[in-house]
Amino acid sequence: MHERLSFFVKRDSPIHRLNPMTKAVMALSLVLIAFLSPWYWTPLALFLFVILPLSLVARVAREYWNFILKVILPTLIILFIMQAFFLPGESRSIFEVFGLEITELSARLAFRNVMRILVMISSFTILLLTTHPSELMSDLSRRGLPGQFAYVVISSLQIIPQMQAKAQTIISAQRSRGLDTQSSFLRRVGGILPLVGPLVFGSLVEVEERAIAIEARGFTSTRPKTFLREIQDTSFDRALRWALIACVILTLILRIWLS
Amino acid sequence: MRETAMRSQKQSSSWLNIGKDFNTMTWVLMPVAIAINMAVGQIVATLRLPVYLDSIGTVLVGVICGPWAGALTGALANTILGLTINPDFLPWWPVAAIIGLVSGICANYGLFKSWWKVVVSGFIIALAAAISSVPISLLVYGGITAGGTGMITAFLVESGRGIVQAVFASSFLTEPVDKITTALLAFAILQGLSKRFLARLPRPENVETDEKISRNQLLIAVGVVVLLILFAIFLLGRLTGAA
Amino acid sequence: MAIVNLQNVTYKYPLTDVPVLQNINLQVEEGEFVAVIGPNGAGKSTLCYTLAGFAPHFFKGELTGIVEVAGVESHNSILSEWVLNVGLAFQNPFNQISGAKYTVFEELAFGLENIGIPRDEMIARVEGAMKLTGISDLADRSPYSLSGGQQQRVALASILVMQPRVLVLDEPTSQMDPIGTREVFGVIHSMAESGMTVILVEHKMEWIAQFADRVIALKDGEILMNGDPSEVLTSPLLPSNGFGTSRYTSVARRAQELGLWNEGKLPITLDEAVRGFNSSLTKEEIPDARAK
Repeated sequence: MHERLSFFVKRDSPIHRLNPMTKAVMALSLVLIAFLSPWYWTPLALFLFVILPLSLVARVAREYWNFILKVILPTLIILFIMQAFFLPGESRSIFEVFGLEITELSARLAFRNVMRILVMISSFTILLLTTHPSELMSDLSRRGLPGQFAYVVISSLQIIPQMQAKAQTIISAQRSRGLDTQSSFLRRVGGILPLVGPLVFGSLVEVEERAIAIEARGFTSTRPKTFLREIQDTSFDRALRWALIACVILTLILRIWLS
Repeated sequence: MRETAMRSQKQSSSWLNIGKDFNTMTWVLMPVAIAINMAVGQIVATLRLPVYLDSIGTVLVGVICGPWAGALTGALANTILGLTINPDFLPWWPVAAIIGLVSGICANYGLFKSWWKVVVSGFIIALAAAISSVPISLLVYGGITAGGTGMITAFLVESGRGIVQAVFASSFLTEPVDKITTALLAFAILQGLSKRFLARLPRPENVETDEKISRNQLLIAVGVVVLLILFAIFLLGRLTGAA
Repeated sequence: MAIVNLQNVTYKYPLTDVPVLQNINLQVEEGEFVAVIGPNGAGKSTLCYTLAGFAPHFFKGELTGIVEVAGVESHNSILSEWVLNVGLAFQNPFNQISGAKYTVFEELAFGLENIGIPRDEMIARVEGAMKLTGISDLADRSPYSLSGGQQQRVALASILVMQPRVLVLDEPTSQMDPIGTREVFGVIHSMAESGMTVILVEHKMEWIAQFADRVIALKDGEILMNGDPSEVLTSPLLPSNGFGTSRYTSVARRAQELGLWNEGKLPITLDEAVRGFNSSLTKEEIPDARAK
């Protein structure tokens, strides 16, 4: 069981040193530009000329490619094939099998859609590889996000791996009792409740004690909060954020103007 | 006089009262609910069942804490799981939020108090989820996703439907079974929790059942689900056959 | 004036008719170490929750009488202010981890961030509490990766940093092994030494006998006895009411029945038992040993 659910790789790089909010704005801007841009090649260009250099500057290229190749690429390939075959597009056929065909138009559309999704996943991946979750939530709380949000996010990140481990234990326990994934459909349906029951009830009972424990530590205090983590926010950060927002607005204007 | 007093009483427990949804128990329950979504989804996937059930925690929070807490749980669940476990979750956060919101509203109108009402809730949640997932499917994936629903869409497109129509149809075919099962399971869990525990949460009145839950009702509920599945299959046949 | 003052306190949980606490009258002086004992269902945990403000502020229900800590009455306070005066730690160390933090250091700072303690003071307080509870070397570890005893010390330290006037502990060692128990009692002892007012619910009589200034025996929501440890813990009322007793007391009581114990008072600690048996079983007293 991994202790925590976090991509974060502790390194020293210019990207790591950026303010977390700046990186979050960067990730969102990249996604919005990829989806809003009126030009066909924008997602690919963003990937080649922004995402890849970023991963190198941030010194997380190895981790980034590891994740993309192992986890994301297989899904993207399936998505591309399905879309290329089934997206409607009346144009020159370039490939045909079992009466299904890929046309030039459907292939073009499929490629753009897949690139957009790649940019979306990549920009968030780089954000998470270079930003510790506590740092991000601390910074957002300082900027006025209610402390409860930070609590929910960080707590989820810690509870999920614990719950995954519990689910695995339950699954293997049930398997050893003969409940196989190859059993009949009805047996598997009947198998849900004994599997899910203990997991859910067990974790719900803990809720009350944890609520008491954090109340005892001023969780609902109305006094102004302070923060243990000190997070830098330079004038460069601020300038970069405004520039990114300007790029998004520009893309939006071009999109409306050109269509 | 009396009527106004009663109405103001009702107003305070109305689903529009956002503040009522959030107490410390709600905030502590939310991460647990998000983890439950993930764990149950994982178990169900292991058992290779034709449902996801990965919004069960969201529905639980929606019912017992209120629609706004449910919506927030759904949105955060998909964002957090999308950013850490499976990026596929990420774009669907508005759908997850709507599932939490609608289940909370259903519960507020007393639709989580008996088995057959829960089936109705599940159906309403499914409709809301289907409608809200169409624009996302079209905008983010161009209509064809990589999962089972995408397969059905592809099938419908191949049989001559327009892409928008195909996305709508496939969403309406897949959602009800999943969401009704989810709602029923959430209801079963809530029935199993002690009154003492439920009383600490913001809206325990949502699951106060006055009548005894009978076995017959459960059988009827299951019957309705089976009928729905058959209807979906029939519809699918018609949609593809007509082309 | 007593720092803790309960007068005619009766409390009922919601959805119940039977009060869990009935007519409780209790005064605790500043710096006192009070132990609370009682069989299951005696209302010990509810007493803790009442002192810590959770009954009625968290659990709702119906509280009558006066609950006063440091001159403030519970009815007139809100929970988030009340917890600044009364800290609470309880049985399960795992459930006391906030979950909002990745390291022990941050975990301890969580409460201080919530109540807005300036950063410099925050760090000083956290370091102080880690030193007192002996967890300084765990500062960068994840709270979830620790042993039960370590987790419980983190939980105690997390409350200590808040610097409450009164510390309420509800069976903090009930889920610990002997090593964990010793670790946790070490911490409780040093807190009491530092002058903090401690109210401890505990089953382990040997430990109570060592540390407590006063023992309160609770039964069916009422105070059965309230007095000096050597009196309360050796009272014949304890075994007849379903309370546990220290094993030293039990052995000596049995010896007394067999005529092997001639001392007036029954022992509550190992030392007292040794001394008592020594003088009961050896014909001649050992006056020179005593004189030394």
